[in-house]
Amino acid sequence: MLLDIRDLNIVYRMRNKAIYAVNNVNFSLEKGKSLGIIGESGSGKSTLAMAILKMHNLKNTEVTGQIIFEGRDLLALDEKQFKEYRWTRIAAVFQKSMNNLSPVHKIGTHFEDIYRVHEPDISSSEIRERVYALFHMVNLSPRVYTCYPHELSGGMLQRVSIALSLIFHPTLLIMDESTTALDVITQGQILEEIKELEKVVDVTRIMITHDLFVVATACQQILVLYAGDMMEYGDVRDVLNHPMHPYTKALIASFPSLRGEKREVHSIPGTLPDLSVKTRGCAFYDRCRAHREICRQEKPVVCQTGGLHTVCCHLYGKIRETDVKEGVNR
Amino acid sequence: MSSIFSRLISALSINRRLRSGCILLLCVVLVVIFAGAIAPYDPYKLGDDLMVRPGVGNHFLGTTAMGQDVFSMIIYGSRTSLSIGIVSALISGVIGTLIGAAAGYFRGKFDIVISEIINIFLMIPTFFLILIIVALFGSSMLNVMLVIGLTSWPSNARMMRVQALSIKERTFVKSAVAMGESGWRILFKYIIPNGIFPVVANTTMGVASAILTEASLSFLGLGDPNVVSWGQMIFDGKQYITSAWWISTFAGLAIMFIVIIFYMIGDGLNEALNPKLRRIR
Amino acid sequence: MRRYIFRRLLTAVFIILIVVILNFTIIKTAPGDPARLMAGFDNPSEELIQSITEKYGFDQPFYIQIGRYFKSVIRGDLGDSYLYNQPVARLIADRIGPSLLLSGVSIILALIIGSLLGLYAGKNEGKLIDKIFSTISYFLNSMPSFWIGIMLILLLASHFKWLPTQGMVNVRANYTGFRRVLDIATHMILPVITLVSVQIPTYFRITKSAVMQVMAEDFITTLRVAGMKEGAIFRKYVFKNAVLPIINVFSINLAYVVAGSMLVEIVFSWPGIGVLMYRSIMMRDYNVLMGVYLLISVSVVIVTILMDLVNAALDPRIRYE
Ligand SMILES: Nc1ncnc2c1ncn2[C@@H]1O[C@H](COP(=O)(O)OP(=O)(O)OP(=O)(O)O)[C@@H](O)[C@H]1O
Ligand SMILES: [Mg+2]
Repeated sequence: MLLDIRDLNIVYRMRNKAIYAVNNVNFSLEKGKSLGIIGESGSGKSTLAMAILKMHNLKNTEVTGQIIFEGRDLLALDEKQFKEYRWTRIAAVFQKSMNNLSPVHKIGTHFEDIYRVHEPDISSSEIRERVYALFHMVNLSPRVYTCYPHELSGGMLQRVSIALSLIFHPTLLIMDESTTALDVITQGQILEEIKELEKVVDVTRIMITHDLFVVATACQQILVLYAGDMMEYGDVRDVLNHPMHPYTKALIASFPSLRGEKREVHSIPGTLPDLSVKTRGCAFYDRCRAHREICRQEKPVVCQTGGLHTVCCHLYGKIRETDVKEGVNR
Repeated sequence: MSSIFSRLISALSINRRLRSGCILLLCVVLVVIFAGAIAPYDPYKLGDDLMVRPGVGNHFLGTTAMGQDVFSMIIYGSRTSLSIGIVSALISGVIGTLIGAAAGYFRGKFDIVISEIINIFLMIPTFFLILIIVALFGSSMLNVMLVIGLTSWPSNARMMRVQALSIKERTFVKSAVAMGESGWRILFKYIIPNGIFPVVANTTMGVASAILTEASLSFLGLGDPNVVSWGQMIFDGKQYITSAWWISTFAGLAIMFIVIIFYMIGDGLNEALNPKLRRIR
Repeated sequence: MRRYIFRRLLTAVFIILIVVILNFTIIKTAPGDPARLMAGFDNPSEELIQSITEKYGFDQPFYIQIGRYFKSVIRGDLGDSYLYNQPVARLIADRIGPSLLLSGVSIILALIIGSLLGLYAGKNEGKLIDKIFSTISYFLNSMPSFWIGIMLILLLASHFKWLPTQGMVNVRANYTGFRRVLDIATHMILPVITLVSVQIPTYFRITKSAVMQVMAEDFITTLRVAGMKEGAIFRKYVFKNAVLPIINVFSINLAYVVAGSMLVEIVFSWPGIGVLMYRSIMMRDYNVLMGVYLLISVSVVIVTILMDLVNAALDPRIRYE
């Protein structure tokens, strides 16, 4: 198992309130099986990803649970111990690639500085050679090395960010909405390149996105988050073909057809609940069309429905098999 | 217009610095209005008590070398400072808004010329220009107000121009254009009301710098000789600084106090407008 | 790059041209006979008026007047001060050294101190030390420069009797060599402290806000996550990104700084342009006043343009078209 996340809870403590951004999240990631995390804006996707890289400011953020990476609990490590993971084994490509580089430094400078964090004695020419190899992988010309960020297009900047994350050949790569700002064609190209990449380097991805299409084309597993709560988790094919949670269903329905057939697009009425209030029941209760009284009273428990496929919904509690049909038919 | 007003009200309710600034300003305005009732002496009257220390006799803040009561002079000086500050900032605000909005909205040759003028004005030392004009044209209060106002509008114009450029692209303006409303109407109905908020903040800051400019002019002997002015007091007190420190000191504190009030209001408005700015100062 | 420089220089020439025209127009439109204003006296002789009128062609059409004015300005002839009985250019040349010394030293000190404090406060934003600095800066920013000078005289000079408050040298001692340098340095202490205190808030504020803005940028997060040390990020990435706004503010504020310097010179009777200007206001010696204005404007414009070029050289985003 590459990554095993158990009972992860993340709370932002603010002066006059707390925001429960991630609640009781459990999932695991096998080597080579990339995971897509999907959910609407504010559902805690970035918060979750940042925890894996230990990016949270512990002064005002509470992170509890376990993040077990290659057998060690990252949350138990201190900053010094974590240094051997930072960027060498876990790396990231962040949201908004436009601002991922300093506007007054050359692209190459960023690479040199990051290389030297872990390999202080490496020579400039050595770095240059390795970066050219990376650039080749992501379809960038070596010329980019001496350019400034403003001289590159959005797609090129995105590729630079990806190359930057691959410097030390990490085993886990977190991509937080890395392609959202790009046009569809460039996005498609980059997704293809990312998939190609996996044949060359041994890297497993966690891709955070709003876009089901990205998950469907580039991931093997999917995790659906809503208001910091896990809704559904499983193999992409299982989940997309046989969604169980009402939220997942609504999400798929709100997405313009995956397979090209024309279908009406349904948006989900309502908005995310206030994250500063810890709900007793299901987070999706307000917007759920299949909700029942128990959904308001109790948190649904995790229900394994065969294989990996997991859903957190009262409709699928083992005892209430009859309700399942009822709920689905509604 | 009502949208500006409601934005001001909401800014007032969220920003503490803005609120305190406004309350203090209100106090100053009351002082200005009731100067005659508050001041115990006529500030222009030369008394018999020369250079009396603060607190001695009825002279709360002492007297000058010519026997004028310092406290009364400070009270009356607020009139000079505040009226010069506000009137010249208003002149500059109105001119800046009109020119900037027109340049940003109509573009074309007019915009090119205006932008060039703004750039030039922002580069040359305005204070010396004001100084020369006042020296040559006379230093009455009216002249001082006019000159400060007429030389400080470019920063407002630049701000308004940027606003106009962006508001112009918004849908409600585009649809107004499509519906055939005239350019000038759009300018006054949409562009200026929606873009004036930063200019209001800047104009408030402008009051502070106008007050400082007026003080500097008075310090150079270019104040209106017929009114009491804090800058003039600092200048007069300078030669007695070792024997009668209170004259310059209190006048300077008064300037500082009123300038801070306007900075508070201006900063408060800017913060309310752009929450990211908060705590930068 | 070369074309960019050329264009900026062209702008400089253009602005200077405008300043000269403005200057001449002011004296032309001022109430009273321009020749009489230029003469400066309350009661100038008829011959003097006659000769000034002829020199600038005040009896001829406006374009000839302005042409003549231009010609003489370009030749370095700023007219004569009939009070001092000297050419204005000569008067200015004699006094520019002390002024440059004072404002140069204080600008450099204020720039260094102000931006270091700003860097520090930006890094420790929200902490007590930042709040203290910011409050002091707020207050300093709202005091008139000349008042700060007077207060310093009041507070310091009465306790430290050796601290000179007037002039640039001890006229009674007539020092030479190193003693003279030391003498000037002690005379500079108070005016420099004053000018530095006036200018610190500007640099403090801009540096602090620049640092805070850069620190919030995504690329800083990336570098941090990649494991780069905080200090190294600060020294290399934050600093270089924050320097550009500081340079910008430096040129924007130059005009204010010069104005502040003049006033402070007057407080400390510093034998520079400020005092010259002050006398010419008092004595209505308008030729000198115009000359000083012209000189200051031209120098500010030139320095601003030079700073633009420095900015362009440092910022890769500026295109040279
Ligand atoms: N540093 C922070 N301090 C306090 N609250 C935060 C912080 N960062 C995020 N939040 C809050 O936590 C919740 C989850 O935010 P998060 O950024 O993880 O959402 P997201 O799913 O990544 O959304 P998006 O798709 O818009 O990127 C939001 O309500 C957000 O307001
Ligand atoms: Mg996010």
